[in-house]
This record gives sequence, C-alpha cells and structure tokens, in this order.
Amino acid sequence: MASNEPEKSVREEEGTAAAAAGEEEDTGAEFAPIVRLEEVAVTTGEEDEDALIDLKAKLYRYDKDGNQWKERGTGTVKLLKHKETGKVRLVMRQNKTLKICANHLVTAATKMQEHVGNEKSCVWHATDFSDGELKDEMFCIRFASIENCKTFKEKVEEIAESVRRSDATEENKEASDTAGLLDQLTVSETTTVATPSKEAESKGDTSSA
Amino acid sequence: MALPNQQTVEYPSFKLVIVGDGGTGKTTFVKRHLTGEFEKKYEPTIGVEVHPLDFHTNCGKIRFYCWDTAGQEKFGGLRDGYYIHGQCAIIMFDVTARLTYKNVPTWHRDLCRVCENIPIVLCGNKVDVKNRQVKAKMVTFHRKKNLQYYEISAKSNYNFEKPFLYLARKLAGDMNLHFVESPALAPPEVQIDLAAQQQYEQEIAAAAAQPLPDDDDDAFD
Repeated sequence: MASNEPEKSVREEEGTAAAAAGEEEDTGAEFAPIVRLEEVAVTTGEEDEDALIDLKAKLYRYDKDGNQWKERGTGTVKLLKHKETGKVRLVMRQNKTLKICANHLVTAATKMQEHVGNEKSCVWHATDFSDGELKDEMFCIRFASIENCKTFKEKVEEIAESVRRSDATEENKEASDTAGLLDQLTVSETTTVATPSKEAESKGDTSSA
Repeated sequence: MALPNQQTVEYPSFKLVIVGDGGTGKTTFVKRHLTGEFEKKYEPTIGVEVHPLDFHTNCGKIRFYCWDTAGQEKFGGLRDGYYIHGQCAIIMFDVTARLTYKNVPTWHRDLCRVCENIPIVLCGNKVDVKNRQVKAKMVTFHRKKNLQYYEISAKSNYNFEKPFLYLARKLAGDMNLHFVESPALAPPEVQIDLAAQQQYEQEIAAAAAQPLPDDDDDAFD
C-alpha cells in the first residue's frame, strides 16, 4: 500500500528490519485449538459468469441520515455476464477479506452520473444484494484514473441500453401476443352470447344476499 | 459466545475482547470491518458494544463476536465482567501517543487475570501518521509475553485483516487457514416504478454534488 511506503523507508534508515518490528514474525505462542475445522469447497458464486470488466476501485455508499458519502470498501469491481441468461451484474469485493461490498444487477433503469467534484468517480442508484437482502443504495465509485472511470461508466451504460432494447422487444412481443388473444376473445364472445347475461344475473343475486 | 438476545449461528463463533486506552481506534477498527466506513469523529464507547463479524475461510464461515470495550476509565463499567469467557483478544495502542503503549502491560494483566492462555494480538494503530511517537523498534512487550504484534492502520487498511487471520488460525490450530471469497448470491430481479425512479434520480443528483470523505487521498490499490 503506497501510503505506508514512507514509514517503511524511515524504518530502514533507522537500521531496523521489519523483523525487529515483529511484523510478520510469529512468536510461536502455543494454544490448544478450541475448534477443529475441515477444509471445505469454496464457491465464489461467480462460476457461471464471465468478467466483462475487472478494475481496482474504491466504493462509497450514501448515508441519507448524515447526508454524506461513507467508505464501503476498497478492492476489485467486476461486471459479470451470466453464460446462459446473459444477465449482467456488478460485484465488488473488499481487498484481503474478499467480502462483498456491492452485488446488484445492471438493469434498464441503471443510470451512471458523474460526481461533481471528482472526475475519476461516478454515482448511481441500485437495489443491492450484498448482505443477502435487497436494499436501496446510492453508490459512488472512485478509480485510480479518469480512463478507468470512463471505461467503467461506458460499459455499464452500454449494458443498460441493451437491457432497455431487449425489454422493449419483449414488450412488443407481449403486446402482439395480447392483441392475438383479444381477437380470439372477441370470436368466442360472439358464439356464447347467452352465457354472460346469466352470469350477471347470478352475480346480482349474490351481492344482494 | 453470543449474548442472550443475539441469534446464535450454526457455524463456529468466538468471543473476541478488544481492549486498550481510549482513542486508540478500537471502535473505528471494528466499524471499518463491519461497514467499510472510516469514522473520524471520536465518540468514546460507554461500557461495551458487541458486534458480530463474519469471515469466509477455506475451512468454512466463522464469526467473531467483537466485544468493543470502553478505553476511558470513567466509561469503563464492568471491566472483568466483559472479559469473562473471552476466547481471544486484541490489545490496541496508538503509535502517535506514547502513553497508550505504556499502558499496554496493565491491559494485558487485567485481561489475563480473567482469560488464561488465550491467543492475543497486540496492534499498534495509526501507522499512517507521519510523526509517530512509538517507533517499531520500541515495541518489545509482545516478545516477553508471547503475543503476536501487528502494525496496522484503520485509515489506510494496512494489515487490517491480519489480527483476525492470526486469531482464526490459532483458534483452529491451522496455520494454513486463509480468507476466501464469500459466495456472491444471484440478486433477484426487482421492478422499480416510474415514481420511485424519478425520486432516485433526484436523490442521485443531490448526492453527486456532495464531496467524497477522502478526496485528497489517491493512495489506494
């Protein structure tokens, strides 16, 4: 981590190696373990997806009560496309602990906006699933460079646009399907003219009872 | 060790006691792990706050119940009562305040009176600060007492995972234990109506104008 470099060089000047600080050295203290754990198979949940983007970034969430951005995590942000469904989601993990700090679908409604004061950052709304429950969140992501931010923003917008297009196609298809059904309905209505009036009568009876 | 009002979990959980002088960064360190945020404001902890903190490892999921205790004497409350049944501990000091290191032996003695022979990590926090008072070579207490020592920074995240990793390894007696990706579950589809959508857009526009907390600091990787 860059911010710690000066500290390290100071220490070296003083002629004290990292070992003197005991940093990585295990003192070899012995304790009786209190649990016995077996190795388990690790599943990332990302096995059926391809990464469209994989960039280092820092994520913030907006704290509405305090009206401020708060850090959420520093790590790697990915756009993952499902191999079968084609759905794309954004997943970000914290460095070192590999915990999830963002996990949501890129939808037709996903809109990226530039952050006013920081051109390496952009802002968006998401229904996030990081903790296994859906939560409305506002996120801001900051990259190491303007280029990375641009790459990310454009990719998300491109995906959102393609979701909008396919949603529209589906709506058209649904609309024509419905129209077809209506045609059939008209036809069947003409053949069973007597039935509806009977139904209406019996309905009237029920409501007055 | 769960509190009576806390849900128990079906995976291994441990009571972790965090002690050290007031203002050394115990609460900030725990919060950093819980939500990712870095709290700059100092609000002394009163008594104790218990936070469950989960990690995914190659040996399954584990949980630390972090007993974040008051460092300030006047807010100390139960003291010994907080340590009871502690299975591991972190003693924190601030490398920019010499006195907080001088008080480490007292915290260690109090802790060990109640918790005998548990794995303990000594953490020198705030190593991101340029003018530190306690230099690395001045830290020797851990060697006498067989503690693990880590220099950490809750601000820059330097070594921030190491104390938990060390404790997990000792508690499980497995030095190959390591953190792994937690499973990213498939997020369900949600429908957002037009009214909500418009509201979000307004909120986003307002939020986009708020400054980021650490805009000045470009050092992350």
